[in-house]
Amino acid sequence: MTSHPRSGGLSRRSAFKVATGAMLFSALGRPASAQPAPIKVGFPVPLTGPYGSEAADQVRCAQLAIEDFNRTGGLNGRPAELLVRDDKLNPAEAVSRTLELIEKDKVDMVVGSLSGAVQLAVNDACKARGMIYNALSLSDRINEASDFGPTTYHEGMAPHFSVGALGRYVFANMGKKVAYLIADYEFGYEMRRAFQTIGDQMGAQVVAEVKHPLGAQDFSSLFPRFISAKPDILCVLNFGRDQLNALKQANEFGLKDRMKIVVGALSSTQRIAGGADAYADVVGASNYYWAAEDMYASSKAFNAAYAAKYKGGVPSDYGSYGYGGVRSMLELARKAGAVDPAALSAAVGTGFDFDLYKGPQRIRACDHQSVQSVFILKSKSEAQMKTTHDTFEIVSVAQADEGMLRSCAELGHKS
Amino acid sequence: MRLIAVQTQCNEASLVDERPSPFGWPERHRVLVSAAVLAALPAVAPHPALAINILIYGLFATGFNLLFGYTGLLSLGHAAFFGAGAYGCGLAIVALHLPWYAAILGGIAFAALAGAVIGGLAIRTSGVYFGMVTLALAQCLYFIFYQWTSVTGGESGLRGVSVPAIDLGPLHLSLLDPLSKFYFLLFFVVLALAAFSRILESPFGAVIEGIRENENRARASGYALRSTKWMSFVLSAAFCGLAGALNTIHLGIVSIDTLFYTTSGTVVMMTVLGGMGTYFGPFIGAALFLCLEDLTTNWTSHWQLIAGLIFIACVRFFPAGVWGSLLERIRK
Repeated sequence: MTSHPRSGGLSRRSAFKVATGAMLFSALGRPASAQPAPIKVGFPVPLTGPYGSEAADQVRCAQLAIEDFNRTGGLNGRPAELLVRDDKLNPAEAVSRTLELIEKDKVDMVVGSLSGAVQLAVNDACKARGMIYNALSLSDRINEASDFGPTTYHEGMAPHFSVGALGRYVFANMGKKVAYLIADYEFGYEMRRAFQTIGDQMGAQVVAEVKHPLGAQDFSSLFPRFISAKPDILCVLNFGRDQLNALKQANEFGLKDRMKIVVGALSSTQRIAGGADAYADVVGASNYYWAAEDMYASSKAFNAAYAAKYKGGVPSDYGSYGYGGVRSMLELARKAGAVDPAALSAAVGTGFDFDLYKGPQRIRACDHQSVQSVFILKSKSEAQMKTTHDTFEIVSVAQADEGMLRSCAELGHKS
Repeated sequence: MRLIAVQTQCNEASLVDERPSPFGWPERHRVLVSAAVLAALPAVAPHPALAINILIYGLFATGFNLLFGYTGLLSLGHAAFFGAGAYGCGLAIVALHLPWYAAILGGIAFAALAGAVIGGLAIRTSGVYFGMVTLALAQCLYFIFYQWTSVTGGESGLRGVSVPAIDLGPLHLSLLDPLSKFYFLLFFVVLALAAFSRILESPFGAVIEGIRENENRARASGYALRSTKWMSFVLSAAFCGLAGALNTIHLGIVSIDTLFYTTSGTVVMMTVLGGMGTYFGPFIGAALFLCLEDLTTNWTSHWQLIAGLIFIACVRFFPAGVWGSLLERIRK
């Protein structure tokens, strides 16, 4: 261990005098040129647990959003600051961490969460305390009037419009006979409802439906049922390790030779973990893919800033929610001129359109849902990939359109 | 072997309890002293939500300690009673629209009922089999609640358990204010501690400690072992149920993870860390465990590694738990 050299021969006594003087000075009053108090953004995400890598990228992107906001002047010179907390993918822990952020850290807003259950729990805690909360996870329920509160915002997509957009593409281009493999919990049911709503409109026919428990290991025993049903499309509505196992086993079973495979939520981190073979030709919906930079200048700038700050790499889809979620709320505060729930709500009421990283977005007034484009992606095989990041092909983009969402009246909102 | 060694040393520690001590007054008035120490928690804890968690998990560990530390039965399924209390209280408010005080009683009753059933089945076994049976039955309860979505909310948990304020005559207490909520919950924790102290001082308390020390001797002395163990199990479940109910009032939700086996593991760690078979040890264990987790998670995402190392060090250097070892040293 190296010892610290004395700076400029400063003695201990004089260092003490300087320190005491500095303390007295700061105690007497804040100098006129002092920085205004920062806008504190609480960011609870599951750094530990199965979604740890997605959460870590969300933190990277959220940090980038804070820097971009501060570089462009903040809120009348007031910078923003990010306070990251680990919610461990556990609703009780997430609420406890949110209370810490509100009661101890005195945050101005909370952004975060990566699972439906955690997001709804954090929303309840924030709603009761009048705290602004922008939720990042997929959910239809958070938009409904019973869960929504004036401080609730939803940057994450609602399956109704993301999976709905996927359904429009799939039933128009890939066939009408569909079989479902559904994770047996709310996430799976929400996606199934969204997909089949579009299927019913487009004359699709359900030929088989199998539910599997969360954390299932063996999917291959279910495949003979799908083979005998002869669908055009097998729609896999699960996430994480379940999706990975289902696709790996489907590939090994030769299911792709008999039917096309579609997943409700396609994530680049899952695709990288599962490998090119398992995911090759699988079609799915996503909130972002870095190749959007060929379409939007904002995506190009976002990718470049990410690569510059983190020495290469591309932002992941779930990571980019961190950027969009934090930056859009800060931009809304800039428009409102204050970080106050009523001011933000009023600013949304007068129309809040923005393009921060993925083309045009807007926040709908009745449920504060972020209306955004949905990317329909097709996973590339090893041979088609030009670089390690070249995992998907954008086959279609459903542009941001309020018509894709459930109407305000349908959700139980007054307007 | 480690567990047996720890248990033996703890047993010795509690035997020391019987000797005259220089701390006679605090020991005679342990409920009062504990209440005073706990009342000062908000002033020393890093933040109010953590102080409340220490209260709740301390009570949970105290309930667990009745069975583990005082009766000598290691249950690995106590999440069932914490969860039963939490869901019992939550469902009483959400589904039955009962007032908060009835909901808390409902939570305790439901946990005691779960304790009566699980305990009734588990006390037929002993040693490691007792641990395995409690773990398996608690996991059964977890899966029932996980699958019963229409009532429990399933994976999303039970939400909408809103108790924003307490109105008792002229007294209005906003539970959105963290300090008011802390002292409101402290009231129940102190009541539970008084009841716990009374149980330990009763002949029943002496019998369970007798069972822990020498089961055959207790049987030879004419005590009904099975019913005494069962009663200890049910009382332990009731204390854990109260902790679960208070947790529901605190968070406003019931997470399905409350019933998961990791919650059972947490309470074992807290109790061993603080000092099993000691009156206040579980609170010390809960405080150490939660503060350690709070500090390390804000510092690194590898907090489990650091927390694990510190836990191993505590068990190595404080084999009777931090509080248990401290009492031993003071009394020597």
